Amino acid sequence: MLLWPAQAMASDAQIIVNADAQVESLSQAQLRRIFTMRQRQWPNGLLIKVFVLPNQNALHQHFSKSQLNMFPYQLERLWNKLVYSGLSERPVEVYDEQQMLQLVAQTPGAIGYISVTENTSGVGVIKLAISEEGDDE
Amino acid sequence: MNKRKGIGNVVSLWLGLTLASTVWADNDIAWHGFLSQGMMQASDSNFVNDSGDVSFKLTEVGVNLSYQISPTLRLASQAVYLNGGNRYPEGVRLDYLFLDWNLYSAETWQVNLNLGRFKNYHWLYSSTRDIPHTRPSIILPQSLYYDAFRDFAKGNDGAALLAQGDGTFGSWEFNWSYGDTPIERDLTTTLLGDMAGGRLEQIFDHQMSFYFQPRDSFSQFGVAFVNSDFKYLSSEQDAFVDGRANTRRVIFNYKYSAEFWDLSAEAIHENVIYQNMLFPGYYQELHSQGVYFQGRWFANSDLTFLARLDLFDLNKNDRSGEWLEEQSGGLIPHYFGYSDTLTLGVTYRLADNWSVQAEVHRFKGTGRLSPAVLPDTQINDREYWNLWAVQLMYWF
Repeated sequence: MLLWPAQAMASDAQIIVNADAQVESLSQAQLRRIFTMRQRQWPNGLLIKVFVLPNQNALHQHFSKSQLNMFPYQLERLWNKLVYSGLSERPVEVYDEQQMLQLVAQTPGAIGYISVTENTSGVGVIKLAISEEGDDE
Repeated sequence: MNKRKGIGNVVSLWLGLTLASTVWADNDIAWHGFLSQGMMQASDSNFVNDSGDVSFKLTEVGVNLSYQISPTLRLASQAVYLNGGNRYPEGVRLDYLFLDWNLYSAETWQVNLNLGRFKNYHWLYSSTRDIPHTRPSIILPQSLYYDAFRDFAKGNDGAALLAQGDGTFGSWEFNWSYGDTPIERDLTTTLLGDMAGGRLEQIFDHQMSFYFQPRDSFSQFGVAFVNSDFKYLSSEQDAFVDGRANTRRVIFNYKYSAEFWDLSAEAIHENVIYQNMLFPGYYQELHSQGVYFQGRWFANSDLTFLARLDLFDLNKNDRSGEWLEEQSGGLIPHYFGYSDTLTLGVTYRLADNWSVQAEVHRFKGTGRLSPAVLPDTQINDREYWNLWAVQLMYWF
């Protein structure tokens, strides 16, 4: 039973952004708008670059359901619709959390997610606080 | 355009874009595409071909490019090669080419203006109906996604305004578009038949739609309105005369997305008015109705099953088609007055970006076969007929 809290913590997603984005927090609605490729710019005008883990990845599935309130297949379907009807681009898919961390740190305007247990000190990314739905309204 | 030339053009385009993407190795440019080939058969109708034999005329190939010019301006384009047999004219098409301008962007909503050739964003599957891996089945429900109307239901040349937001009560989307679609000679034949020697033109197409998903809900509700005018310019050797047609559509749709299954439904009421066209002084007003209910079960991450019932009546005041048969002096059988379909399908993901889809359809009625205005009663002489299709698809 003692394993449960530790497992739950490991599967929680921490949102990270590149320091150039100059943001410290987002509402859940904004987070959804960014990962559904609707919001394309940060408040400072910088273009947002979205990074995601593969569809089958457990952290991606948990992130999609718990933070975006969407099932992974809905996200995939929406991205396909955007890409093949010309409305927007899809996020860049990375192999694993290490690559995610590296690319978000290197790419201006980047946003992604990693496990809360992942060490980010000295990497050059900012951990974002996500406020509950409605807090911004 | 012949098939060899069509494929050659797409290959040239591909090579050009591959080279271009190497040269412009830049984050602001992205390109994607899809390739698919299938086979299908509808032995007792002209849906696929006139012979009723197994056909390989189920090819869909496309490549698209998106260029982010500035944070608020983007250029998007896609070219496709399509071959669907009798369903629509074969050939290479410029699917879309538009400037996407972000007019306004706030924290929870934004407005974009699309100028150029854009897709039809108003119905559930209209914007990606030619992209095999994005649609639920190879053949979409013909009540709404009638293949003969594909070319002017897929998008327009003009302007589209798209607004989307996330508010206290949920997510919403408002789309408006105005434009027209150039109609090629082959499409005129698909719609009107070989006896039409003239030219069909779309004068305008005006559409609006609104979608709403309540907060924390699995349901999505939508409504779309269509108003479109056409004119027919006859030639010297022509069975038709100059005329006009107007179509007005109201479409309601609903989607429920659960973790391992989903439901979709779209209902259409269409009012079509024909003036002249068949002979001077001819006037006909039809109120057509259709609805489909579709369920999918995601058995696992690779396997999806589909079941769908699609119902369509050409004239809501003549659901049995008897008036149609009587009016035509017995030339058009009553079963051209409706088209009801039961579809069972399966999709299997073979690997990343590879899928295979297979389906069977049982049709009652021939009301959604082409030509649309003067039907082919020689080949389509069965009230009940079947269709099967298999398609292999790859995308990147």
